Amino acid sequence: MRPSLTPRGLLLAGLAFALPVVLIVVPLAIFVVYSFFSVDHGTMVYTPTLANYGRFFTDPVFIPVLVTTCILCVSVAVICVVVGYPVAYFLASLRGRWRYTLLLLMLVPLLMSYVIKIYAIRSILGQNGFLNAALMTLGIIDKPSSLFVFNLNAVLLALTLLLIPFAILPIFLSLERIPGNLLQASYDLGATGTQTFLRVTLPLSLPGVASAASFVFVLAIGDFLTPQMVGGTSSFTFSRIIYSQFGAAFNWPFGAALSIVLAIVVILAILVGERFGQQEAAR
Amino acid sequence: MSESRELLALRSVSKSYGQVPVLHGVDLSIRDGEFLAVLGPSGSGKTTVLRLIGGLESVSSGAIYLDGRDISAVPINRRPFNTVFQDYALFPHMSVAANVGYGLSVRGRPKAEIGKKVAEALDLVQLGAFANRQPAQLSGGQRQRVALARALICEPRLVLLDEPLAALDLMLRRQMQEFLKSIQREIRTTFLFVTHDQEEAIALGDRICVMEGGYIRQIGTPHTLYYRPNCPFVARFFGDNNLVPGTLGAVDGDLRAIDTALGRLVCSTGGDTALMQAPEGTAAFAAFRPEALRPAVEDDVNRFSGTLSEISFHGAATIAHVATTPGDVRLRLRLASQVEGIALGEGETLALGFSPAQSHLVLA
Repeated sequence: MRPSLTPRGLLLAGLAFALPVVLIVVPLAIFVVYSFFSVDHGTMVYTPTLANYGRFFTDPVFIPVLVTTCILCVSVAVICVVVGYPVAYFLASLRGRWRYTLLLLMLVPLLMSYVIKIYAIRSILGQNGFLNAALMTLGIIDKPSSLFVFNLNAVLLALTLLLIPFAILPIFLSLERIPGNLLQASYDLGATGTQTFLRVTLPLSLPGVASAASFVFVLAIGDFLTPQMVGGTSSFTFSRIIYSQFGAAFNWPFGAALSIVLAIVVILAILVGERFGQQEAAR
Repeated sequence: MSESRELLALRSVSKSYGQVPVLHGVDLSIRDGEFLAVLGPSGSGKTTVLRLIGGLESVSSGAIYLDGRDISAVPINRRPFNTVFQDYALFPHMSVAANVGYGLSVRGRPKAEIGKKVAEALDLVQLGAFANRQPAQLSGGQRQRVALARALICEPRLVLLDEPLAALDLMLRRQMQEFLKSIQREIRTTFLFVTHDQEEAIALGDRICVMEGGYIRQIGTPHTLYYRPNCPFVARFFGDNNLVPGTLGAVDGDLRAIDTALGRLVCSTGGDTALMQAPEGTAAFAAFRPEALRPAVEDDVNRFSGTLSEISFHGAATIAHVATTPGDVRLRLRLASQVEGIALGEGETLALGFSPAQSHLVLA
């Protein structure tokens, strides 16, 4: 039976809906509205216009940066998944308490401040950083390399390091959900370990891989702090441009328009990941 | 059933998980072409036997022989056996045809051959029209048949079935029992079937192996187990039974006396040497089925009186509880039901008896 709605119940239900509306939907709506305004010599002009979107499509700067950023973030997602998969597989293959102890250790970095982690990574990547020192000690290079100092490579490495826990977790969960007797059935029917992995384990863990990739992509593309701090002046990402529109150029309407473009990219990425995951789960 | 050659043998096989033993030196011989049911309550080790044979587990001690060759160390994917798992374990991301063809496909057989054999196997289990479905689109009974086709396609020497009917409802289970039996007759492959349901074991097994607490208690035809149980566990577990404790008395041909609370009874030994040779005074049970008990006739040697209670109608049979005089032993009485109803009433006392030939002695 349906619980009848008392005035008190109605009030609670109303509040439950009001909070997300006020805190999420309304600010987003304001953003959308702002993207149709413009700025003239530092003052807002509240006449609706499509000029901001026009500028995005016509100015030769923005679309190439968006494309570069997407490639960067897809790369981050791919590396995170490729590196995270074996880790998740190893964790899922453990039995007993080691499994969750190690998983927890893997997630400890998520509890640390993002800025501190970025500084830590900077000290690893820098000209005189740990990575260069290590490579020189090992004799692989003889003078500090600038291959990963304040450029897109550095951003790629830093984002990968920061986001890899977000790849491991969904993959681990999807691997853990695969019933053990499916693997036994595969062996029983004569398959080898490699065949069982390729034909049973891998396909059944693809939903986890898809959500891992879309998680990482979405988090990477929205991150403006990491490119700012390890990317130097040369590597402009889309989120840095948006940040500069708000922080430096004081052009809120244009920043809002660029944000909407980014939001569309993010929504597409989530939909793609979602679709892929559901398709597998429905089977 | 004629004696056929031995296909598989377990020789003093033990299995422990850590410090916990689950099988104690089990010996089992499986004949080529038979349908062997392994019957036991949960925790009896019956599933462990199946998993050891299939190679899902390895033996702690002892050995498993196939055609006289020790296969204990052969890994699961090299054993010529296939398993039908309890919950079928169909691959959810593959079509029915891909599931059935999996065993051939991982062996690298040509596509054309796989296609042909999959079609044959699906026809065998009457699912020819379902080849392109996904497992999620099938009913429980259909999934079960897909699992069977998938196991049979590799032409295994032995098919292992782990309580495959447990998840089905009663009607479907009956159908599947007949279906399994007819398929086994058709393809003449050896089936080893694990179950906790004694009716299922009787319906399917050429022979039944009864297990309890990690030991095999008795192996034999359903008829032998029903009428000649060799221990109190089998006598109780296998169908409804009356067991009256007592001590053995004098031997008289195939019969032997036993002194019980009902007085001196005479029961059959079935020619069993252990029963014949046990010294007088050995603890034993007089076992007789509820349907062997009946109103006494003139020359009954086993005679006592009993008071009826809890008379209940079960279709073909009417079952009553009996409290005996002397001894106040609780027995069960099963009479064929009749249209005019049972002539007996609750609380009624009457003379009861059973024929020695319809009874059996069981050593305690």
